[in-house]
Amino acid sequence: MQKFSFNKRLVITMIILIIGFLLIALSISVRNNRKAPSFVQQVGNDAVGIVDRVVGVPMNSLGHATDSVKGLYNTYTENKKLKKQVDTIATQKVENQTLKDENKHLKQQLKLNETLSSYSKINAVVLSRTPSSWQDQLVINKGTAAGVKKNDPVLSRKGLAGRVTEVNKTNSKVELLSTSNGSANRFAVRLKSKEGTVINGLITGYNTSKNQLIMGQITSKAKIAKGEKIITSGMGGITPQGLLIGKVVRAANGNDGLPAKIYIEPAADFNDLDVVTVARRAD
Amino acid sequence: MRISKMRYFFPIGAFLFLFLDGSLSHLLSQSFFTTTVAVESRLILLWSVMAICYGQVDHVFIWSAIIGLFFDLFFTGVLGIFTLLLPFMVYLTRNVLTFFNRSFIVVLLIYLIDITVLTTLFYWANALIGFTSVSGVTFIGRTLGPTLAYNLATYVVLYWPLKLFFEKFS
Repeated sequence: MQKFSFNKRLVITMIILIIGFLLIALSISVRNNRKAPSFVQQVGNDAVGIVDRVVGVPMNSLGHATDSVKGLYNTYTENKKLKKQVDTIATQKVENQTLKDENKHLKQQLKLNETLSSYSKINAVVLSRTPSSWQDQLVINKGTAAGVKKNDPVLSRKGLAGRVTEVNKTNSKVELLSTSNGSANRFAVRLKSKEGTVINGLITGYNTSKNQLIMGQITSKAKIAKGEKIITSGMGGITPQGLLIGKVVRAANGNDGLPAKIYIEPAADFNDLDVVTVARRAD
Repeated sequence: MRISKMRYFFPIGAFLFLFLDGSLSHLLSQSFFTTTVAVESRLILLWSVMAICYGQVDHVFIWSAIIGLFFDLFFTGVLGIFTLLLPFMVYLTRNVLTFFNRSFIVVLLIYLIDITVLTTLFYWANALIGFTSVSGVTFIGRTLGPTLAYNLATYVVLYWPLKLFFEKFS
């Protein structure tokens, strides 16, 4: 009798383990291939997302309250500095406006309605972050209802922050650029060399201990200046052109003379994201 | 027959702590996820361990599996990892507890063992599916150590309130 019950328990354990592994395999294949997660997953996520707001909103406002107390301390000095900057911003704004108008007219003359750099913006609030050190993931409060699609790039105030990996009706998951996930969808990027030619490449990884993005698959031998800005190239069909990623810190040469890796200081702070913008390419 | 209020309080509290994990990770991400430190907030495990030690909860395995499933759904998007790990931790805690008397220090040690096992298994599962490739040394230094320290602190803060709560309502 004792032996029988032991076997029964073993069988149940094995069945549970197999179901678990099947679930893992299924959800990874959904994540990598299909456009949307399964129906059950979506319904569950939407329900949980609504409940999460009950907890998340008061917690976030508490966080903002402490921030504003901190902000009070250095308001005076900041105000002085900002006043100086405001004057220059006004002139820049006017200049920007005229350039934009001119650009529009020129595009119209060329009959170029949509270029790689045009995109629509969807603003979203960050609800919570995955409590895990293996997935740098955020949950934001906009989903298919607001027009978010899978694989859309996500911007912070300062620069590119990540990519949408899962979309539900009212919330979606964003994988940050700082993820170490081997199967993450990489961004196609470009920068200008010292001679002015364009160098294309891919963001291939992230160095956690130095907080640096790594650009690989580089196409040219041209020399690269330190501090040069890196932007998305718009290749690959989903990401619009011209989203800022960061600045060049250093370039490491490979054996064949090509710069094998370019190390980038990211413009966005991956740990300071309250409001993000989903960039939906307009084509 | 009196129906225990724990029937409702346990799941409500579990979901509350689950979302608190996410909210705290987001709010304190400046100090939780730096270049040298990665803290995994596991208040949900604290809730389960305290419930097993000081409360009487019906269907605790089913509830922990459901809550683990929602963790996977909402936070990671990869189903099955926490769905299995959380009931396993409940099983482990229950079995370990049969050898000891409940006290502050004993439950603390059980909780620390639980955190270590959970974090290690979670790392192993993520390494298995290719979500991380860090070495074991980096894992211990960057994730396990800070995670233990943080969760120890939350235990010390929340031990008395949770103990009172579970003893009163079950």
